[in-house]
Amino acid sequence: MRRRELIAGLAGLSTIGGAGWYLQTKMSDAAGIDPVALQTIEAPGSSGEEVTVPAPGSVSLVTFFATWCHICEAEMEPLGEVAAAIDDSVQMVSVTNEPVGYSVTESEVRQWWRDHDGRWPVAVDADLELTELLDISGVPTMLVFDENNVVTWRNRGRASAETILDEIAAVRDGSARPLQQIDGESP
Amino acid sequence: MTNQVHSIDRRTFLKSTAAVSIAGLAGCQTLAGSGNQNVKLDPPENYEQLKNAELPYPIYGERFPEATVPSPFVETDISTRQFVGDRHVLLTFVYTRCGSVCPALTSNLVQVQADAAQRGYSDEVALLATTFDPEYDTAERLRDFGEGRGANLSADNWYFLRPDSEAQVEEVVVETFGHAFQKNPSEEGMMFLHNPLLILANKQGYVERSYTNKVPNASTVVEDVRSIVE
Repeated sequence: MRRRELIAGLAGLSTIGGAGWYLQTKMSDAAGIDPVALQTIEAPGSSGEEVTVPAPGSVSLVTFFATWCHICEAEMEPLGEVAAAIDDSVQMVSVTNEPVGYSVTESEVRQWWRDHDGRWPVAVDADLELTELLDISGVPTMLVFDENNVVTWRNRGRASAETILDEIAAVRDGSARPLQQIDGESP
Repeated sequence: MTNQVHSIDRRTFLKSTAAVSIAGLAGCQTLAGSGNQNVKLDPPENYEQLKNAELPYPIYGERFPEATVPSPFVETDISTRQFVGDRHVLLTFVYTRCGSVCPALTSNLVQVQADAAQRGYSDEVALLATTFDPEYDTAERLRDFGEGRGANLSADNWYFLRPDSEAQVEEVVVETFGHAFQKNPSEEGMMFLHNPLLILANKQGYVERSYTNKVPNASTVVEDVRSIVE
């Protein structure tokens, strides 16, 4: 088969519903997710205790990352700025869904965290429960949740500190709208 | 976009979803009725639509295609069907200069390798990552790429497939597996444009699932593999 036909075939697939998109819906339509208990790693800013993600009753910023991911490394600086700018009323947590204990050890994650100046809780999604719930298919993925654990912002790839802070502020001032994932990633 | 547009999109989508799930159910019954014992997983959600779209790659229930490709580190060619009878196969297509999709596809393979090691089914799976950029992707670059993402290359279940020529790339990747990619005409951004494709075939040599359009989340793949291993 010719390459061009294959490309056309793939483009066709996207239009028949393989790809999904996100909808912004009315606040009343949205249901928050059930939080998941994750074990944090003992590291700078991170106690090593269990944490509930996203925290009900708080605005949450959750960042999925992997230690092999260079974009995640680069994102640590803007995340550090965000950490410095927010107060305790916002839950900030980074989550790796790598198979910790197999492809990477806990102490390697701790070292990565130190090397990149992390100073907020860092947790492991050991049984991929949160990964599945939020359908995380790549890193970095950042999400903002409102107090009811409703996703109001989702970003794949890099984002500036300003953008992230704007999204957190939007939840605060009530201008954020729930982001409802219909099927997969946005087209 | 306005709210108006959103609501139209949503209605259209919901309607087509309803149609798909009805079609999906019918497809399932047909399969069960015809006694198709080749696959264990249920058909994908939008199976009827996918089937009618005549996609170039296998989706579900097809015989897993055969290709024989050199594999660095094992000093022998690997056939995609040599595992029939022994191992379930996860096959994907990558290039190491790829920024996000390929590392994510590769980390799906790593997640399965880790799960297999933890649950004791390492010798029931084979993880095949095929490069479509063999000129740049030397054995060493493949090793760095794989190990950098946590792959255990010496676990006897991880194989890089490296076609020995552009012609073989065309034959294996495009003709045999229907994986479309093209060189990015722009100087900016990624070297190649391609849709993610990850194929899970069972040890009987039939396709259980193709993950495409988007990289699946690791949990989906691990659970699908667990269900066919059990």
